[in-house]
Parts: sequence; structure tokens; C-alpha cells
Amino acid sequence: MKISEVVDKTGLEALNGWQDEDIAGVYISDMVSDIITGANGRGLLLTLQTHKSLIAAANLVDVAMVVFAHDKRPAADVVQLADKAGIALFTTSADTWAYALKLFELGMR
Amino acid sequence: MSTCAHRWSMTDIRSGYLVVEGCYHCGARSSFFSLEPVVPIDEYREGPHFWEHLAGYQAVTFNLRCDTCGETVDLRDMMGLMLSTCDSTDCAVGRLSRELGKNTSVYVALCADSSHTSGHCVSDAGVRALEQYFNQRLRSGRRKITVVPCKMCDRIDRCEGIVIADTGLTEFY
Repeated sequence: MKISEVVDKTGLEALNGWQDEDIAGVYISDMVSDIITGANGRGLLLTLQTHKSLIAAANLVDVAMVVFAHDKRPAADVVQLADKAGIALFTTSADTWAYALKLFELGMR
Repeated sequence: MSTCAHRWSMTDIRSGYLVVEGCYHCGARSSFFSLEPVVPIDEYREGPHFWEHLAGYQAVTFNLRCDTCGETVDLRDMMGLMLSTCDSTDCAVGRLSRELGKNTSVYVALCADSSHTSGHCVSDAGVRALEQYFNQRLRSGRRKITVVPCKMCDRIDRCEGIVIADTGLTEFY
């Protein structure tokens, strides 16, 4: 599934520039120490965390897009770091569970 | 020397705390990985140093094991990884980042002794395996990960970078 399809069908708000590509799976975590052990390369990461360490971890394991649940928004310097790393950032008003259900209903596994 | 084209996997994953201490006498920094259920915050004297607690973050450490030949690289001497944002021409890491360009991310493998007075740092074999492992996880061909030992930093306690540690767990709301 493409990023554009996920954005359109789940109503995401983009927080920086992004390029369309296929998404390779989903990982849900609020701990960067967990993200580096389990997230998928070119996958979607769903989280509540908005600090720089999250971007450092996501970049290390090649995450393609990050979705912040509960309308969380990172600070400008975090967005700047994600831009540099080429990581697309989005926010959703849904909570983590509700957004995970949307992804499941889209057919993402 | 092994001829195996290693395919690394994480093994022996340990969850604990990255504890950072400072000596208020000489300004040295030290860190260690604690498996205790709470962050140790004791002050103590060790030789010429008077260590006091500066910070504690939830973190993991791990070893790497080759799925092909079974070789295991022990990474207990690594306290964590830091994405370098240094571009100083006075620092070897900063110079390397400039030289490698924007498609390569430089991560610094942090050892326990930031002052390197003991002469030890993360092993060459460990740094090599980490670099291979994280590059094997990349799916986009354009990008590359380079891992360097923290002894390469000009001054690791002043080095610019972002340590991968759980800093915001109490700041959700």
C-alpha cells in the first residue's frame, strides 16, 4: 500500500514534505529502545512520542513514515531533523487503538 | 579471519537504564548500563573521581549473532548509539559526516568511559558488525549507515548528536 493511499483513506495531516512509496508493514511503539529492535524498514511507525530521539531511532532502522496519534505534534527542530532524514511525518486525531483499527480495516498487516 | 558474509540478528536483548554520571571534581563523564529495576542514583568516590548522578534513561543493549555461521559479537561494552549532528571540522566525526554527504547517517557507538582514560572503547569488531547489521536492515538503496566508535569524537561529552534513549516517557501529557 502506498503512503498516499494511507493518507487519503485514514485522514492524516502531513507535518512535512513527503514522497510517495510503498509501505512495508506497521509497527506501534512509544519506546525508542523497542523501535530499534522491532520496526520494519520502509514501514509505518505509529507512536505518541515526538522527541528527537524518536527520529534518530526511526532513521537508524529506515522507517518511511511516522504517524503521531492523539493529535501529537513535534517541535520545529524535530520536523527539521525528519526532513533531513527523509522521514515523512503525519498526525491523526485518533488515538493509537482507533488508528491501528483503521490501518487493519485498510488491509495492512 | 571469517570468510562468512554475515547476516546479523539481534540477540541477548537486555532492557535496563543508561545511567550518566559526572565527576564534580574534574568534569569527566561516565556512563553505564544498569539492569536494576530502578535507576541507581548513588554518589560515590572511585579513585580520583567523585561521581554523581546526571541522568538515567530507559534503554536496551544487545549482542549480534550471525544467522549463517553462528558467530556472536559481544556488545556489552556499548552503552548506546548516538546519531551525530556534528559538522565541526575540528572533530573527526564531523569531518567524516561532511565527507559522506547527506545520504549517509553517522551513528556513534558510545562506550562506558567517555573520557577514554582506560584506553578502552567499543571494539572494532563490534563497530563493524553494528554497521553491517543496520545496513542490512535498510530497504532503500540510496541510504547508508556508518557506525564509528566514540573515541573518534574530539570531545564526546561536548559532541553534537542525539542519543537513542527513552527520554520522553513521562512527558506524554
